[in-house]
Amino acid sequence: MTGDADPTPARAPEEGSDGVRYRSEQGAGSRSRFDGGAGARSLSEGAVDVRFPFEGAVGVWELLDDMAAAPRLVVGDERMRAFLEDVGRRLRAPEVARRHPELASLGFFLRRSELERAAGLPRGDEPRQTGAAGAGEFLRVPRGLVFHVAPANVDTVFVYSWALSALMGNRNVVRLSARAGGAAEAILDIMRQALDDADPVVARTQRIVSYEHHRAAPRKSHAEPFSKQLERPTAADQALDHRQTDSTNHASVDHSQSDHDRHDSGKQPRTGSVSHPQPVASTAPGPGNAAGPTAVLSAACDLRVIWGGDRTVNEIRRHPLAPHALDLAFPDRSSFAVIRARAWLEATPATREAVADGFAVDAYWFDQAACSSPGTVFWVGSPTECHVARDGFAACLAEAVARRGWTVDTAMAVEKRVAAYGLAADGVADAVEFRGNVLAQVILTTPGVAPRRWLGTGTFAHARLSSLDELADVVRRKDQTLTHFGFAREELAGLARALGGRGLDRIVPIGKALGFHRVWDGVDLPAEFSRLVTIQ
Amino acid sequence: MSVFTLTADDREWALVPRLAELTERHRHACPPYGRILAAIGSHGPYERVADLPWLPVRMFKTHELRSVPKEEVFRVLTSSGTTGQRPSRVHLDRHAAAAQPRMLAATLREVLGERRLPMLIVDTRSVVRAATLSARGAGVLGMMNLGRDHTFVLDDGGEVDAAAVQAFLARHGGRPFLIFGFTYMVWLHLRELGLDLSRGVLIHSGGWKKLAERAVDAAEFRGRLASECGLTRIHDFYGMVEQIGTIFLEGPEGDGLYCPDFADVVIRDPETWEEAPPGVPGLIEVVSTLPTSYPGHVLLTEDLGVIHGVDDGIWPGKRFSVLGRLPRAEARGCSDTMGAPTGGASDAIMGDSWGGSMVARTPPQAPPQTPPQAPPQASPQASPQANGRDAAADRPMPPTSPRTSERGDATDGTAAA
Repeated sequence: MTGDADPTPARAPEEGSDGVRYRSEQGAGSRSRFDGGAGARSLSEGAVDVRFPFEGAVGVWELLDDMAAAPRLVVGDERMRAFLEDVGRRLRAPEVARRHPELASLGFFLRRSELERAAGLPRGDEPRQTGAAGAGEFLRVPRGLVFHVAPANVDTVFVYSWALSALMGNRNVVRLSARAGGAAEAILDIMRQALDDADPVVARTQRIVSYEHHRAAPRKSHAEPFSKQLERPTAADQALDHRQTDSTNHASVDHSQSDHDRHDSGKQPRTGSVSHPQPVASTAPGPGNAAGPTAVLSAACDLRVIWGGDRTVNEIRRHPLAPHALDLAFPDRSSFAVIRARAWLEATPATREAVADGFAVDAYWFDQAACSSPGTVFWVGSPTECHVARDGFAACLAEAVARRGWTVDTAMAVEKRVAAYGLAADGVADAVEFRGNVLAQVILTTPGVAPRRWLGTGTFAHARLSSLDELADVVRRKDQTLTHFGFAREELAGLARALGGRGLDRIVPIGKALGFHRVWDGVDLPAEFSRLVTIQ
Repeated sequence: MSVFTLTADDREWALVPRLAELTERHRHACPPYGRILAAIGSHGPYERVADLPWLPVRMFKTHELRSVPKEEVFRVLTSSGTTGQRPSRVHLDRHAAAAQPRMLAATLREVLGERRLPMLIVDTRSVVRAATLSARGAGVLGMMNLGRDHTFVLDDGGEVDAAAVQAFLARHGGRPFLIFGFTYMVWLHLRELGLDLSRGVLIHSGGWKKLAERAVDAAEFRGRLASECGLTRIHDFYGMVEQIGTIFLEGPEGDGLYCPDFADVVIRDPETWEEAPPGVPGLIEVVSTLPTSYPGHVLLTEDLGVIHGVDDGIWPGKRFSVLGRLPRAEARGCSDTMGAPTGGASDAIMGDSWGGSMVARTPPQAPPQTPPQAPPQASPQASPQANGRDAAADRPMPPTSPRTSERGDATDGTAAA
C-alpha cells in the first residue's frame, strides 16, 4: 500500500485500510478528470459491486476515475507477473484443488513459465528490451482499458481472459456474473489474499465487479435512440432528478431494450479485432436516461471482450464503444469428435480406456455445455466397423463416467429424453439408446443433420463418414473444436486446409477439448490485448 | 355411474388393451410419435400398463403432436408457459373435445352428486372475462359448467365480497353447494369470511407451493377450514392440460389422490425407469384413455410423487400424492444454454398479483427436500402433500371445459370464445 505515488484526492482510505479499500460515497462533483467527453455525470449511472481488489459498492464513474489515475503497467510487467504467479501458486494448493478440482488447471496456467509462454514474453526481468514486447521497429504496448464480460456459468473463464490481459499491461474491469459459483468465489478470495504480497499497482489497475442487469418496466418508455441512452444529465438535471434517478434511470440500461426498440441506434460494431466501430453520436441534448454500468464501461474501454452466448453478445453489443475501441466476442460455438473406427477397434484396452476417459472429461466436466465439449461423434470407416466401434465406445465411455463417479440427476435425465425423443420425432435420428441416465446415444440419419444445440449432459449424436474429407461438408462457421482419435496430423491439416476458414478453430486430441490456450477461437489473445507502436 | 370402481388388477385388465390400441393408433396416425417409438424400439404386445412407452410431457411444448388431420382439429389447448418457454399445444378433435368435460363431470359426480349444485367461486369474475383467457380463467370457466347460480367470492378489485357470499348462503346455504377455487386463494380468502360453509363441497387445485412457503400443509389446510368455516368436504385434484378431462381426485379423508377408472398412475424410479413400489417416490407417469386425438395417453410428467397404497382406501385402485416438481435441468457451460443468461435467475410469474404463480410454470430453484416420511395411514388428516413445494403449484389449472370455439381460433388457455 505504500509505493503508491499517485494518490487520488477524490478518495479516502478506510480505517484499517490496506491501501486499496476506498470509501464509495465520495461526491461525484469532485471528479472531473475522466468524464468520457460527454459532460456531467449522474450520480446514478449505477453502482457496481466490486469483488476485487476490495469488496464494496462503488459508482462506476468513480471506479473508472480511480483506474485512470493509476500508474501504468507495461507489457509483461514484472509486478503483475509476480502477482499472477502467486495467485497460481495459491490455486494449486492441495486444499483448494480438493474443493475445486477445476482450479488446478487454472493454477497450472498461472505458472511463470506458462505465463511467459502464453504472453510470448522473453524470460527475465527486462520485458521491454527485446522479444515480443519490443523487437526491431515495433514496440508492443498495452491496449489500455479492457472491459471483460465473463460468462455466467463457467467460473474460470474470466481468469484466463483477465490474466492474459493484465499480463499484457492493461487496466481491466471484469464484469463477473452475480450468479457465478463457488469456484469463482474461491478464486476471488485467493486473489484478494495474494494482494497482501503484491505491488500496489495491481490493486490500482484491476477491478472485478458484479452488477445486476436492470430491466426496464415499460419497454416503450425507453425507445429513444441508443445514443441518447448514453447522455448523462447535466448538473442541474441531477439536482432536480437526483431522487428519481436511482429508481427510474437504472431501468433503462443493459437489457431493457429489444432489438426492435434499438432499431435506430446506429450501426453496431462488427466483430473481430480488425473492425472499427462506428462512433457514438451522442451530441444531441436530451433529458438523459442515465446509462448503466455496461454502457459506461463500454464507452470508456479501449477493448471489450465478451464471453458468453449469442444472446449475451448481442445484448452487450447494443452499447456502443468509443470510436477507436474494439470488440472481441466469443459467442456460442459447437464442437464434435471424429474417430477412425478401425483405429478404435485396433487399439489396446488401455488406449481405449484412456480415450474414453479423455472424452468423458471433454464432455461431462461442464455438463457438455462448454462450447468445446463434443456434441456429435463422427465415425470414419465402413458401416460395420463404425457400428461395432460405436457400441464398444459407448460401453467404455459409460465405464469411464462411472469410474469418475459422475452421475446425471433426474431433471437432466428427463431433459435428455426430451432432446433425444425430439430428434427422433424430427426424423433426424434413426435410433436413440440409453445406457442408464449418464449416456444417451442418438444415431443420426445422415452426418449433415448433426445438432448444434445443447441436448443435456451426456447426449451424443453419432454419424458415419466414409472418409475424413467428408467432414468438410458438415462443418459450419459455428463449429469450434474438433477432437480426434486415429488420424495423422497430415490428414487433419488437410481437413483444415479444405475448410479454408469456414469453421473449426481447434483440432486437438480427444481429452484436450477443454484446455485453454492463448489462442482461442482462432484469436491470439495476447496479441489482441496489446498494440504495436512503430518506431523507426 | 361411478368412475371409481376398479381395483388395481381389474383396472390393469381394462386399461391395457385400450391403451395399447391407442398406442398403435397414434403410432400410425401421428408420424413424429411413430418415429419416436421406432427410434426407441418400442413395439407390442404390451402386457402391463407399465410396459407401455411413455412420452415426456414436455414433448407437447417442443413438438406438434396430433393424430388427427388438421381439418379435424376442433380445438387447440395451450398451457401457460414459463417465460421463454413455449406452451404446450394439445389438439382435440370433436370427439375428444366432447369427451373431456363429460368425463370430468363423471369424476366429480362422485363427490358432488348427480345434480348441478349452486356454486361459489373463490376468484373474481374478471378472471373469466379477460380478453385473453388465462389458464386460471380457463380452469374456472371449465369448472363453472358443473355448477349453477355462480357467485364470485371476490369483487373485481380482488376484495372479498362478503355481501355477495352472504346472499348466496341465504339462498343456498342450507343444502349442499359447490365451492371451487385455487388452493392458495381458498386459503387466503375463504377463512376471512367467517361464514358457515358447512354444507359446502370444496374442490380445489393449483398446488401447494405458495402455501408451503407459509408452512401450510394439507392437514393444516383441512383442519383450519374445518374449524373456521365448518368446511369438511374438501377435495384437492391433480391434472394437466396434456391430459385434459382426466383428474386425479383427493378422497374424502384426504388420504391421497385417487384415479378414475379410465386412468391410472405409474411411479417410476428415476434411475432405472422401472415401476417403483408403493412408498417409494419417483416420477409420476399418468395414463388415460381420453387422449384419442393426440398421443397423450401415456405421459411422463416432471412431477415427483409416491403411491401410498393400493386398493386400501375409500375408493379402489392406487392412491398417491404429488411431492413436488423436478427442477429444470441446469448446465454449466460457456453459452446461454439455459434460461435467460442475463436476466436473473427466476422467471417472471404471470401478471396476476396473486394467482399468477399458480398457473405459471415457474421452475423451482432446488429439488424437493425430502419425501414424506410418515405413511398417511398414520393419521387420516396427515397430508401426503405436506412436504416442500408441490408440483401442482407450477401447473396450470387444467382447463376443464373450455368455452367452445370454432376450429382454429383457439389460442390461449383453452379457447377464446
